[in-house]
Amino acid sequence: MGALQRIRTLAANTLLEAIRSKVLYTLLFFALIMIGSGLLIGTLSYVDSNRIVQDVGLASIRLFGTAIAIFLGVGLIFKEVERRTIYTILSKPTSRSEFLLGKYCGLVITVWLQVVLMAIAFGIISLISGAPFGLEYVAVIGLIMLELALVVALATLFSAFSTPMLSSMFTLGIVMVGHLSRDLLAIGSQSDVPSMQMMTKLIFRIAPDLAAFDLTLQVTHGLEISQAQILYPMVYGLGYLSLLLMLASLIFSRRDFN
Amino acid sequence: MATEQTLEESCEEVVRVEGVVKDVRPGFGLVKKRILSGVSFSVRRGEVFGFIGPNGAGKTTTLKVLMGLISATEGSATILGHDVSEDEFRQHVGYLPEHPYFYEFLTGRELLSFYAKLSGVPRAKRPARIEELLHWVGLEAAGDQRLRGYSKGMKQRVGIAQALIHDPNVIFLDEPMSGLDPVGRRAIRNLILRLRSEGKTVFMNSHILSDVESICDRVAIIVEGEIRYEGSVSEFLGQTEHSTDVVLEGVSQEMVHQLAEQCQGTHRELKGRIEIRVPEKQVRLLLQKMLECDGEVISVNPHRVSLESVFMSTVEG
Repeated sequence: MGALQRIRTLAANTLLEAIRSKVLYTLLFFALIMIGSGLLIGTLSYVDSNRIVQDVGLASIRLFGTAIAIFLGVGLIFKEVERRTIYTILSKPTSRSEFLLGKYCGLVITVWLQVVLMAIAFGIISLISGAPFGLEYVAVIGLIMLELALVVALATLFSAFSTPMLSSMFTLGIVMVGHLSRDLLAIGSQSDVPSMQMMTKLIFRIAPDLAAFDLTLQVTHGLEISQAQILYPMVYGLGYLSLLLMLASLIFSRRDFN
Repeated sequence: MATEQTLEESCEEVVRVEGVVKDVRPGFGLVKKRILSGVSFSVRRGEVFGFIGPNGAGKTTTLKVLMGLISATEGSATILGHDVSEDEFRQHVGYLPEHPYFYEFLTGRELLSFYAKLSGVPRAKRPARIEELLHWVGLEAAGDQRLRGYSKGMKQRVGIAQALIHDPNVIFLDEPMSGLDPVGRRAIRNLILRLRSEGKTVFMNSHILSDVESICDRVAIIVEGEIRYEGSVSEFLGQTEHSTDVVLEGVSQEMVHQLAEQCQGTHRELKGRIEIRVPEKQVRLLLQKMLECDGEVISVNPHRVSLESVFMSTVEG
């Protein structure tokens, strides 16, 4: 049996665990309520109600997707070590990297499945309200999915050596900085203080540029989305999450399970 | 694969641990604590090997080094000739950790199927192997029940089943009888004996010495991170001088004192009679003296040395 099949087994098991967990359904339920509430908020607004429906819908998908990714991701490895389920798994011909990758893939599939369900709900709400829902929305949701894969990789990295509480704080902090790093860079470039400029540049280089994955504004305002706006986050996201997983694997392979 | 198997089968020393040292830095890592101090021993093919020692002696740490769960600070450990840091040879190794915890959202059958896939059991052979093991450990009826509802004994048994799912040649069991009732302990004991009869090598950590004594061929005793003894159980028991209990009647107190002194024995009152414990070589002398003083010998019983008593004297130094 090859490494790929072992990774697939671990991923399938992680997905099954999520499917059989009640907490996830609660989060999903609230996400669907939130997406649906766009209809109500739209009627209360004096601006374009369709735009409100879609703003609320896409923001809900991103927000709840991120919440699920962090909530499940920070305990992904920690729980296995704490409960010692990892002992019997690593006693089989399974490497630590395969274990980490299997758990990661399982959680990404879980999060993506949630996003797909939320996207279906979003599509239905858009149809009911008469808001447009074309291919560009699929592309935007696709980028949200990629962004969430990166968030899961971040949470997995911290989960490989830290407690869920600390991992949540680190991951959430980096996600927030990641969404603001472009604004920080812009503020820094207008500053006269060289150290400020350097620091904002450094933050932009190190923190994930999550704003690149957010095309909500373009799509809800009917602006044209270029190929580069889709290809850049795809290449950047895959590269960044690969680096995160390599780092997580490196740290995890050196750990002692006392 | 066939060549690899032949190579592994030809390896007489299945497990070899040489000078393993393990240091840890608990808390903030300012103070170094030595858990294992140059542990060395070997396990031979086809034997049941008992690794015994008091709590905190380093039994589980040694087993974790062997399972690659922690790395040794110094020294080397090999299983079937492979360094324990490798992964692929683990298809020949089964492991049951102490107080095992498994995915509670899975049923017994699903759990075994999960481990079978990870262990590389071919798809076609999986269902039959799972049923065979569930039958072995007496969990056929509970196979479709989620592990959340399993008792401690059932979890221990499903743990053994997962360790054997890929039919490994070497099986490591960490406290396999811990927390089990007498029926459960006997079932596990019989299972280990069955594995030995099939030519498997079993390494077990335990502090239940009666079980170790009854099923292990050889033992190693670890105390404070150091191996104090390694060898066969019979040799270990033979280290202590054998003694015999002789029960007497109709002998005066003064005579009893004299007999005990002359035969290098000890004495005590036993329901109105006198029991003298003497070294095996002094029995003849004691009986001769008894005939001379016309006393009555009620019984002569060789004193059975238990693993526990020898173990305690080894641990206490």
